[in-house]
Amino acid sequence: MIMTVCTCTGCSLLCEDIEVDIEKGTISHAKNLCRKGWAHFQALFKERTKPTIDGEAVTLEAAINKAAEILANSKKSLLYGWSSTSIEAQAAGIDLGKKLGATLDDTSSFCEGTLIELVMAGKIPTCTLDDVRNYADTSVFWGADPSNSHPRHLSRFSYYPRGEKRQKSYEEERSCVVVDVRKSATATLCPNYYYRLPPGADGQFIESIMAALDGKIPKFGDKKRMIELGTLLRKTEYGVIFPGLGMVLSLQEKMDLLQKLVARLNEITAFKVVPMVEHFNTRGFNQLLLDQTGFINSVSFQDGAPVHDPEQSVIAAARSCDAALVIGSDPLSALPFGTARALAQKPLIAIDPHRSLTTDAAKVVIPSAMCGLEAGGTAIRMDGVKITFDPVMKSDLPSDEQILVMIKEAI
Amino acid sequence: MVGAMEIYQLLPKDACKECGYASCMALAVALLNREKKLEDCPALLNPKYAEKFKKLKELLAPLEKATETGLIIHPEKCFGCGNCVVACPVNVAAEPTRCAVGLGPQGEKVILAVEDGVVKCMNVKECRRFGPNKVLCNACLVTCPSKAIEFV
Amino acid sequence: MDAEVTIVTFEDIFQYEAGKKGRYTDEYRDLSARIILDKQDMAKLGAKDGQKLRVQNDIGSVVVAAKASEDDPHPALAFMINSPWSSQLVRDDICDPSIPGFKGIAAKVSPTEESITQLSELLQRMRA
Repeated sequence: MIMTVCTCTGCSLLCEDIEVDIEKGTISHAKNLCRKGWAHFQALFKERTKPTIDGEAVTLEAAINKAAEILANSKKSLLYGWSSTSIEAQAAGIDLGKKLGATLDDTSSFCEGTLIELVMAGKIPTCTLDDVRNYADTSVFWGADPSNSHPRHLSRFSYYPRGEKRQKSYEEERSCVVVDVRKSATATLCPNYYYRLPPGADGQFIESIMAALDGKIPKFGDKKRMIELGTLLRKTEYGVIFPGLGMVLSLQEKMDLLQKLVARLNEITAFKVVPMVEHFNTRGFNQLLLDQTGFINSVSFQDGAPVHDPEQSVIAAARSCDAALVIGSDPLSALPFGTARALAQKPLIAIDPHRSLTTDAAKVVIPSAMCGLEAGGTAIRMDGVKITFDPVMKSDLPSDEQILVMIKEAI
Repeated sequence: MVGAMEIYQLLPKDACKECGYASCMALAVALLNREKKLEDCPALLNPKYAEKFKKLKELLAPLEKATETGLIIHPEKCFGCGNCVVACPVNVAAEPTRCAVGLGPQGEKVILAVEDGVVKCMNVKECRRFGPNKVLCNACLVTCPSKAIEFV
Repeated sequence: MDAEVTIVTFEDIFQYEAGKKGRYTDEYRDLSARIILDKQDMAKLGAKDGQKLRVQNDIGSVVVAAKASEDDPHPALAFMINSPWSSQLVRDDICDPSIPGFKGIAAKVSPTEESITQLSELLQRMRA
């Protein structure tokens, strides 16, 4: 059995120590791939898309030309998705968007965008996952359940491995804290430092921590436990907070409370923030768009110069656009119903390696090579580190990047 | 995991000693330790115990899957997170540049490794719970987020 | 017979796996079309595990199966895996339209005899 090393694109950890047996043209065997990654890779061999227009089989060329035609004739197109494709494809997409005067957006506009913005603008201190492994003695998962969303987070970086300054690891030198509205799988791993909050109470919890840090009686939560938490945070040498969707959507426009907490912690010791981004390359898109326009998401090129406002987020743009291209995402499965419905009513072009709700509703379906296995590229991990990966399987299908370039050329 | 009391309740409870033990309770414990099999209790072969025999077989079935160290993996529960792979002291000692620091193993001397999305165990004899100097190591147990690893 | 709850969505690795095996599979539907309720709320509804429940608010309505929570008590708080079923109930018009509420969905839950909503119906609703 010959094993080939490859990179998993199942989540934003982008594990590079994966070994796959691809001799028979399928992945019959894999090492080190978590359950999520295994499912992600196995999906490659199920329900692959074929080029279609209105459900009828056509050639790839015909599908691409039809896509170009729809976009060329549209007055206000939306190019959406991006989180599950390479930086190279994202760059081609932004180019296409500029040519069309389109609106571009990704899931961050309604998920972790407010936090990602702070991290990428340097308004909240951050670090790499390798720093976490080497230095972190306290990892705080806040509104996040890595065991289910990023299964190898704790074993590769944040709790169980040994690191330069953490040779005794979880047994003596690391603590894990979970703050959540329910006892998640991750919470069961650190029952002494699991804090359950009612939904929306994160702001109050932050205030209680600040009180505990100041030696005052916390107003919210079990006083004894809050004081214990304060003690742990004070003793920490290098702490990292990993906010998930639960915290970001709870704080919403009050993200400054998190900034206040982190600033206060940094007066005492070192504390960083790494966002628990879900998809493997959300940060790639956010970074590219930031570099080119000054904004991480929701940008329109309709007036030439980039415009960023709530009208350009997918929530609004799905309603106002007259055509949409979706790539590296399945919005009809993930968006709130109103937005999903608005999008489904428009002429949709879906670029995807395999079938999804979005491809089922699309007017034009363009099959692509799967990023990570059949197509290589670059992606940015949840901590901002660039990971480059090569393809390990051959495919006759074009990559996402190639498809976008072809569409742009055909306009 | 099934307990000795549960097993005892289904045995004849007449201490006939045909199995070689002084009491049915002692046999219950021996069944759990896999020092005896159900077939070692001749009384159970009596048709009046057919229901109980069936139930006992069911309760003891998982133990048959267990390794000599008593380790049972439930792959259907496993997240493939690798916590056990990285926490296992034998893994760590065998792979100081891999498992010790969070990566998958490269060699063959490990006990736990994630394959095809779930954990598999191998070289169980290397486990510290086994052998004359055994210790009650439970690193793989306490680091599992889904109770996919158990010890009988 | 009804219960008013706040629903918070979450991620589940097994439901993710089922979705990758096929969006239209029974397994994906069974794992997704579920609402986890506190035992008190289950009792209030007279519901047991598997009881079909209509979950609705002014955004939408779905029929899912009840599952008793194994967590510490959390009356009036319910959990659903983030899926096309839960998304039927998510608002996207609160204050800032760019932040939909996946983590605080107010809904009414009532027992029903109707069957679990199929994925194909959810897609139909989007295309109607």
